[in-house]
Formats: sequence, structure tokens, C-alpha cells
Amino acid sequence: MDLSPRPSDQPDESGAVSSSSSRPKRRWLPIVVLSLLGVGGIVIVTQFLTSAIDYYCNVDEIGVREGCETTSRLRVQGTVEQNSLKKTETKTRFVMTFNEKSIEVVYSGDPGGVFQECIAVVAHGRVVDGVFESNRIEVKHSNEYVEKNTERFETSGSAACSQAQG
Amino acid sequence: MSRLINSKSATGTQATRVLGLLAIVVMLWVVVSGLVFTPQDVVQGESVRIMYVHVPSAWIAYLAFILTAVASASWLIGKKHSMGFDRFAGASAEVGVMFMAITLLTGSLWGRLTWGEFWQWDPRLTTTAFLFVTYLGYLAVRRLDGSAEQRARRSAIMALLAVLEIPLVHFSVVIWRSLHQGATVLNPSGDVKLDDLMLFTLFSGVVGFTLVFFWLVLHRQRTMLLVDVVNSRGLDAAIADRRAEAGN
Repeated sequence: MDLSPRPSDQPDESGAVSSSSSRPKRRWLPIVVLSLLGVGGIVIVTQFLTSAIDYYCNVDEIGVREGCETTSRLRVQGTVEQNSLKKTETKTRFVMTFNEKSIEVVYSGDPGGVFQECIAVVAHGRVVDGVFESNRIEVKHSNEYVEKNTERFETSGSAACSQAQG
Repeated sequence: MSRLINSKSATGTQATRVLGLLAIVVMLWVVVSGLVFTPQDVVQGESVRIMYVHVPSAWIAYLAFILTAVASASWLIGKKHSMGFDRFAGASAEVGVMFMAITLLTGSLWGRLTWGEFWQWDPRLTTTAFLFVTYLGYLAVRRLDGSAEQRARRSAIMALLAVLEIPLVHFSVVIWRSLHQGATVLNPSGDVKLDDLMLFTLFSGVVGFTLVFFWLVLHRQRTMLLVDVVNSRGLDAAIADRRAEAGN
């Protein structure tokens, strides 16, 4: 007795073409999905992961570390120095420090969000005449979570500075 | 099997009902504590509350994928190749993918509020996206044509490879410089810098999400069992038809 699957277009003993309704019709779908996922994965790894590894240079590495050359566009990480923040209508100026090295940053616009003094940020931009001209600022939150304390906040002038001072 | 398939509440038992009730109670506490009782963060303000969903969902996704790998290994190693292991692996991966999607969504919302960006291709976010895509691929492999045993073998091998990505995701913030902050609770120093009620609510979230996870997995694997039973019956009927044809 032959129990192997019968081709759908082959007539059976009665001469009728067997119905294929019980067979899965979308065999190509998993293959297409798998191919798309594979291509997506390769694109992520080759295009984005390489640029993502070591997301930034620290302030003290500008012009020193490989990949942190002043001639190219950089992502630079440091802490916004206390009492250095100055905002005008179109520009935000502050000093960013890391490991006792500082650089002046000029950002076109207002970073908004939780940006403030004493907070770690990653600035995207270029070094021009010793000043870091940035067009994107990302706030880099620490792994500390502290209850908001209004009194401590008011004496330090900035929530992040109050956190830094403990 | 026939008792199961004929039952009105085929995927539910007394145990899953108790589990579901417990999950509801704990999740209600997490919602109330997370939105009302816990304080604002000194820097993030109200957006810190996203953490009570984001972190537990990430951990439960890890747990789901690890359980998928354990069940897959059990299927491969076991002499009987019990399909129960395969169904558990599949159900756990499905629920894990759901929790991973919640992680990515809530993380993206938090990122917009804190970093100023919904998404950045930094090491943590990129490896997490890659993990998510990998398990979508795992679910696609489970739907390829073939027998139940072929499905189990293919997906078990893939699950054992995919689980290797989890350490890469978790330690990406240690290995590389990342915009994403380092681990607060599971950090190598063991110094947890999180206020007490925030920490308690976070752990409540982990307990609640764990209960939800097991409730979903138990129901899903029973649904898979019912599908396998139906498919098996279909095969039995086809064989009976052929035998009848051969007998004519």
C-alpha cells in the first residue's frame, strides 16, 4: 500500500483531480520572510553595528585616540560643567569636561529635554578653531535613580548637580 | 488528548486560573505603585516610570529565550524526543518576542524623553534589535513545511545558537561605549543605586511579568498541543482513506 503524498494535479483512481485544499499553499512565505530577516540582519551588522561600536570619544581623547581625529565628524562625551551653561535665542554654549580635559561646545538651538548642567552628554559635531560646533546633543543618563528632593535641588541650582553633590 | 480537545476550557486549568488571578493582583499593585506611590527621579522626572515596564519586560524576554534554549536542548538530548519540550520552546519564544517588542517600544519612548531621540544605533539598542529579529526568524523557521519532528529539530538548533546573543546584549554596555546606561540592578559591582520604593516596585514588576509570562506560555503550549492533535487526526483520517481506497 502506497501512502506517499499524491500530487495535487494527478487524477486519482476515479479520474477526479484531488483537492489541494488541505495542503499548505503559502510555502514561499516563510522563505521570503526568512530571506528578508537575513538581509535585515546583515544590514544591521554591516552598516549600523560597526558605527555603533564605541559610540563616542571622550573629551580627553579628541585628537589623541584613533578614530577621534579633529578632521572628522565626532560624537564626543563629557559632563556639562557647572556654571558654564549660557543660552541665547539661537545658540547654547557650555563647557564639556571629561577626565580633567575640557572643550567649549556651541550648539545651534536649545537641546531641551533633561539637558542641564552636571549631566553627561554626547555631542555630535566637528572641532572648528578649538570649539566643538554641534548640531545634535544627546543626554546620557547614568544608572542612578534618585528621588526628586526639591530642597536639595534649589540649593544646587540643577537637579543633576544636586545628584552629583549627593 | 480527546478529553482535552473536547473540554470547553481546553487551555485552562485550576492552576492557570490561580496563576492568572495572582498575575492580575501583582500587576495592579505595579500599576498603582508605579504611577502613584513611587517618586519622580531627580533628573528624569515622571519618565522614570517607564522603567517599571521596560526593565521587567527585557528580563522576561531574556528568561523566555533561555527557557526556549533549555527546552530545545531537552528535546534534542532526550531519548524520547518529547514534543512537549518543542511546544514549550515555541510558546516561550513567542511570548518572549512579545516582551522584547514591549522592551523596544518602551525604551524608544524613554529615549525620546531622555536622550532626545527615539532611536540611536548604539551597541545596546543595535544588539537588542538584532536579538528581536533573530527570534522573529526562529518563529519563521517553526512555520516551515515539514513534519513535527523536522520542525522541532530545526528550531531547537536555531534556539541554541540564538540564545548566545543574550550575553552580547546584556554586556554590550560594558564591552563597548554606549549611549544606553549601564545596568543598575544587575551591575558587576553589586551596588544598586535605586531608591527603595523604586527598587521594590521594579521587583514587583518582575514578579508580575513573570506570572503573566508563565500564564501565557501554559495557554499557548496547550493551544499548540490542540493544533498538533488536529493535524494528527487529519493524518490518521488520510491514512484511513488511503487504506479504504486500497481495499476497494
